[in-house]
Amino acid sequence: MRPSLGALTRTTTFRLVAITAAAVILILMAALAGVYVSTIGQAQADADAAARLEWESLESVYAERGIAALRAEVAERSARQSDMLFALIDVSGETLYKDFDPVPRVPGEDWRAVNGPIQRLMENGRVVESVGRGRAGRLIGGPVLVVVRDFGVVARIYSSLMSGLFFIGFFGVFGAIAAGLFASQFAARRADLLSRTAQEVKSGDLAKRVPKSRAALPAGDEFDKLDRDINEMLDEIARLVEATRTAGDSIAHDLRSPLMRLKQSLETAARAAPGSESAGAGLAKAVEEADKLLDMFNAIISVMRIESFAASSFKAIDVTALVRDLAEFYAPVAEDRAITLRAHIQDGLSYRGVPEVLTQAMVNLLENAINYTQEGGDIELRAELRPDGQLELAVLDNGPGIPEKDRERVVQRFVRLDDSRSTPGSGLGLSLVEAVVRLHRGVLSLSDGLGDTARPGLRAALIFPATP
Amino acid sequence: MRILLVEDDKDMAAHMRRSLEDEGYDVELVEDGAVAEDRARARAYDVIILDRMLPRKTGAEVVLALRESGVTTPVMMVSALREVSQKVEGLDAGADDYLGKPFATEELLARVRALHKGREMAVSEHTRLAVADLEMDLLARTVHRGGKKIDLQPREFRLLEYLMRNAGQTVTRKMLLENVWDYHFDPQTNVIDVHISRLRSKIDKDYSASLLHTVRGSGYRLEA
Repeated sequence: MRPSLGALTRTTTFRLVAITAAAVILILMAALAGVYVSTIGQAQADADAAARLEWESLESVYAERGIAALRAEVAERSARQSDMLFALIDVSGETLYKDFDPVPRVPGEDWRAVNGPIQRLMENGRVVESVGRGRAGRLIGGPVLVVVRDFGVVARIYSSLMSGLFFIGFFGVFGAIAAGLFASQFAARRADLLSRTAQEVKSGDLAKRVPKSRAALPAGDEFDKLDRDINEMLDEIARLVEATRTAGDSIAHDLRSPLMRLKQSLETAARAAPGSESAGAGLAKAVEEADKLLDMFNAIISVMRIESFAASSFKAIDVTALVRDLAEFYAPVAEDRAITLRAHIQDGLSYRGVPEVLTQAMVNLLENAINYTQEGGDIELRAELRPDGQLELAVLDNGPGIPEKDRERVVQRFVRLDDSRSTPGSGLGLSLVEAVVRLHRGVLSLSDGLGDTARPGLRAALIFPATP
Repeated sequence: MRILLVEDDKDMAAHMRRSLEDEGYDVELVEDGAVAEDRARARAYDVIILDRMLPRKTGAEVVLALRESGVTTPVMMVSALREVSQKVEGLDAGADDYLGKPFATEELLARVRALHKGREMAVSEHTRLAVADLEMDLLARTVHRGGKKIDLQPREFRLLEYLMRNAGQTVTRKMLLENVWDYHFDPQTNVIDVHISRLRSKIDKDYSASLLHTVRGSGYRLEA
């Protein structure tokens, strides 16, 4: 698609180029005007001064020695100075001497400046077109003396300077318009690629990206950066949409089974005799399924709530106390299951955040470890400030662990690994932890825990950046 | 016992009313915040159950107005907003307890009983608590049963104190979690049961009569 001329002249690029061009032309004109004043102007002033001096010295020759002496003097000076031209006209109007035509008239007693085209009469009889500049004046008693400097060379320089000015003005303006159109067309094409991509994405094709430009300019200009940023933004949007879609699918899928069971239990109860044992059992089962559904919804709401916390609600957390209390709280459960729970908690740890959700994240990790570690297993709870200033809270166990290929997936909403389907939990445990960590600008790192190669265990670490 | 129930969701209100009436409570239902405030000033109730989102006046505004005019009736705020911050706001306004929707009926009933009981307790501030031959000295922080001293960890002491203060009432796991540990999450392990069984092994194991009973499906009760 070729953008229209009107569209091009409306572009920011065109306007910027036009303004720049106008400014450049103005500066050039000012510079040329300066050159003109200091060259042509100076030459004109010089010519005027020289003509005046010559005229006044000839006037004194006339005053002292009369018209005949003046004529001889004029002829002599004319022969001596090739650039000075003279004319002398008697009272009767007879031309006594002239180097050029036409001889200007002097109407009154006064003198007047002369500046105009002349025909210079050469000694060999030839006539040369030129420009004369000087003065014509009436001497006492009536004769007219004209002294001009042949200004032809300077006039030629002047005229070429003027045509230069015109040339610069004319081509400058048209050149600027052309450059503006070219630049804006280039910009318009790039912008057009962007807006076309945006249109396509808007109409539902989330996989569309801004194509690589075939521009002559080397890669890395501002448009390439914009393209890259927009493509990265689209990648992120696509990822979020995909995550939401997956979550939606999982929600629908995970909620369908308990809803079906709920319906079956209620149907059983409805068919059974009122008050009978099987009616009661069916209803009890229905309540149980409804509770499970509510748990799942609550878990979803918790994750969403954590994602919507603002940094303004952060406060100082005594991390040491928080983790110690949790270790104390869960020690009996671990002991009950013959699991050794060891805590390595540094003194004086603190961090800015939301204590309730940080507690929730640690609870999820600890309960995961407790629920997935077999009897006689080991769990380690660590809280320490790393040498690089980052705060690390980690729970290690020697349970089944999470295969490396699945680690990224388990933090997504609702994902539970297939072989853990039978154990209780909403499948939101780790995604909640991830949401909490992300809220505090930290990362959740999953790696092998305390076990051996056959049963590697899990090490889940929350790593928070050093507080500024 | 008379309860003022303020809830504008008709289904919810009907369900709560039935559950409370089944317990033998006298329930008055109001759907509007401003009306509820007038009623609470005019009559003496034992407990007020107040939804947070109400027409005309919010639950928090009602509690604040009542407390300012000297009405000390225990108030339980009920709300779909489960955020801890909302809870703190409700308690700051003067509510005595806060329950997030959805809740189990048992949870509601247990809390209403605890609120009522708590008020009676507050009337006479005890330094000693006793249930049958189990005695707790709140000042010396000692526990004896049948004259024999029982050693408790600080947290076990608080757990037992809470159970004794609510003796004869069912307390839910959630109530224990909130009041003894100040935790606000739903454990996915039997952590509360384990703490209870530890306490039980200290106060009940060597004695013929059990005091700490498990209430199936809802929680625990300390009772002779």
